[in-house]
Amino acid sequence: MTEVISFEQVERAEGHIFPGGKYSIQHWENFLLTACTGADVMQDGVVHPIALFHVPILGSGTTIAEMFALGRADSDMSISIESYDWQLFNPLKEDTEYDIQGKITDVTRHNDKPGDTAPVYDRIVFDFEVHDDYSLVASSTVIWHYRREPI
Amino acid sequence: MIANEGDKLPPWTMDSVSPERMQTMAAILRDPNPVHWDRKSVAQLGLGERCINQGPLGVGYMVNMLQNWAGENCIKRMFIRFPNPIILDGDHIISKGVVTKIYQHQGFDMAEVETWLERDGERGLIEATVTLQLPRD
Repeated sequence: MTEVISFEQVERAEGHIFPGGKYSIQHWENFLLTACTGADVMQDGVVHPIALFHVPILGSGTTIAEMFALGRADSDMSISIESYDWQLFNPLKEDTEYDIQGKITDVTRHNDKPGDTAPVYDRIVFDFEVHDDYSLVASSTVIWHYRREPI
Repeated sequence: MIANEGDKLPPWTMDSVSPERMQTMAAILRDPNPVHWDRKSVAQLGLGERCINQGPLGVGYMVNMLQNWAGENCIKRMFIRFPNPIILDGDHIISKGVVTKIYQHQGFDMAEVETWLERDGERGLIEATVTLQLPRD
């Protein structure tokens, strides 16, 4: 089998906790985000749910680039998405300060056994929680695959 | 709201995926990947000089369909998969969905919906299993 980055180097990311932080979704941000989907902004300051793609990441104090780096991505194009799992307990609202936490909860290697013919990849699970002053408002579990190229 | 298992949701259509919207989205997401705003970088991948739509925008088309059907705060859970998410500027995309389960939870009428995006009849670009809280009549 062709050699790729060792799993031990990648596995160190498991348990990584992002700094955490606060995030408020401004009206302009929600307006533009919603317009990009081809819809009109919702009533009563309700935020379009696709904000759950970027708000947990930025609010927890990380970036897409850092998530790539933590998984030791070979390149931007080596990443593919397995899934996003969102739970919305209450609607996200504009101009509300959310407390956001995130961490890497699982790292596993796949297709690395003798006889495997598909490319080796590492599967990394990121968990994020969005709280307001009272309760958990939303959660997001992000699973990405990091395809490994031979060293 | 009355819904039944097997009901098809009214489709939602994006007539032509816009590169300008991708540029705005790249800024909002702080996503530096040039495939969303530089057609020449996409051409190097052999996909022609057309930008690649962000996955979140494709999911946005699904959300718009769901909210048009069951109201703005209907989505309680959304499990999204990306089997073949390459959508390019100029593509004509239709979001579709079907009710797979109707049940009650804590006094609310709930629906489970399978939803997906289609391009020229091709299914499986982006898919999602969604739990919706249905509005009361």
